[in-house]
Amino acid sequence: MGDGSRKWMSREQIRADVEDGMRNAVECAEVPDLTEDDISRIVEIMCEKGRTVSVEPGEEVILTQDGGELKLLNDSGSSSPVLEMSRTAAIQVHERALGMDTFEVAYFDPSTKMVKPVIGMEMAHCQNVMYNTIIPMLYMFMPNIGLYYQPTGPFGNPPDLMREFKIEEAMEAGELAMNAMRDDIVFIGERILSTGMDGLDFDTTASGGDLDFVGSLQAVEELRKTYPDADIQMGMSAESVLGINGMCEYAGQLAAGLYPHQQVKLAEAAGVSTFGPVVNTNSSMSTAWNVARAVTMVKECSKVSKIPLQVNMGMGVGGTPMFETPPIDAVTRADKCMIEIAHVDGL
Amino acid sequence: MAFENETTMLHDALISCKVPDIAKAVQTAKDAGMPADEIINTLGAAMSDVGVLFERGKLFLPHVLSAAAGMKNAMAALDDQLKAGSGSTEAKGVAVMGTVEGDVHDIGKSICSTMLQCAGFEVRDLGRDVPLKNIVEECKNGCNFCGMSALMTTTMTGMKVVIDQLNEAGIRENVTVMVGGAPVTQGYADKIGADIYGESASETTKKATAVAAD
Repeated sequence: MGDGSRKWMSREQIRADVEDGMRNAVECAEVPDLTEDDISRIVEIMCEKGRTVSVEPGEEVILTQDGGELKLLNDSGSSSPVLEMSRTAAIQVHERALGMDTFEVAYFDPSTKMVKPVIGMEMAHCQNVMYNTIIPMLYMFMPNIGLYYQPTGPFGNPPDLMREFKIEEAMEAGELAMNAMRDDIVFIGERILSTGMDGLDFDTTASGGDLDFVGSLQAVEELRKTYPDADIQMGMSAESVLGINGMCEYAGQLAAGLYPHQQVKLAEAAGVSTFGPVVNTNSSMSTAWNVARAVTMVKECSKVSKIPLQVNMGMGVGGTPMFETPPIDAVTRADKCMIEIAHVDGL
Repeated sequence: MAFENETTMLHDALISCKVPDIAKAVQTAKDAGMPADEIINTLGAAMSDVGVLFERGKLFLPHVLSAAAGMKNAMAALDDQLKAGSGSTEAKGVAVMGTVEGDVHDIGKSICSTMLQCAGFEVRDLGRDVPLKNIVEECKNGCNFCGMSALMTTTMTGMKVVIDQLNEAGIRENVTVMVGGAPVTQGYADKIGADIYGESASETTKKATAVAAD
């Protein structure tokens, strides 16, 4: 199930859930149905007997992870083992022992507002990592406009202001926060790329809604002026962009309410190299339902995208259960469906 | 049905989320003799539709708040008539809301607070990463709803702690506990003894409104 619990289901029930999940995606995101072949294939994958499933040789995709060394070092409520080792060693473990094709460096509190004050330290660390690793290495941080709102930041909190019916003040505060976040993203990005890092990854983009998304896109556009060839990846935080402002636009398109196949077009326009769509898992529904729903949305995203897609597959996204250590049978089935049916370029 | 035209006009005006249009529709309905409580009930039903449209991504937060502002103005404009009749301008209930300790995710909770306020509840939003004892203390100050949100499986356990502490404080019977957030399910809500599980802000608001009406 979406919450990680086990439930016995017949093939017919699985099929029914797959169809229902697909219909839900079609209704929400206004994307096409899956084909009958797609639906049957998802059912087959779900019903495979093995504990884990995989793709055939030659069908493998790029594998990476967005948490950087934090996944081994930190206990951030994400089931990290909290190992005592240096940041560089943790990255080398991912490269050499865990088989990552590309990887990321991340500060312990990887939000834009928290990274800016320690940028000198991060730049030195990035140089050290580049001397000691081989695989493409990106620097990850989260735009996270929320930290620019009070009480953690200087600007008024739009939802709080709106509850007081101070709507104009809320809009103004949101735009000021967006500008500050964008400028800080560019500040960090330019400095990190100057160390020779292969690229940047904006993680959980749009976690603060449409202003977060537009600010990040504007930052990418700005960074491209100085670093036209850098690998700039953008991973989203939710399947639909929340309309906290409701009116902000990018490239003539309203940002609020966009789904993955629409989000990727704005990312392309900004100059993003690789896009990481997200589809949220419903913890009350089955994995079959969630996977079908996720695949339906991502398939359309993949179809319209001109840039590679590295879909977010993890706790609570991409059809994967919302659980600290998601069951491996669910994880591998979700991954296989994404590769075979949604035709993603990476996970 | 009496006042059918006025009902449609009020509904459409609220869905438009334009404060002047809502005020105009209210005045027109009032001039036509539509009872104040019927006007408010019609607007309330339209607010539920606004909530659904918001959940579907067709309307956004400022729209919802504009609609709520329109509704608030309507209640103020009809206050005398409502007080004279059987209608009431009092809050449906008092809701203490917060994201539990250790969890900093609060957009969903903020949206839920907003929807509850729009539905006529007095909301005391404690923010995010709220120490569990603070939630309990605020409930002791007087409330009949307590809403908790969590986005992580490691923090959702705090919800049970709050429920237990409400029991120890002897106020559990007077507080309807609502829980929500991505890792929370109906099953989990039942397990910890919560009264309401809301998969979305509008579902939570609907269920809280139903409880308040009982």
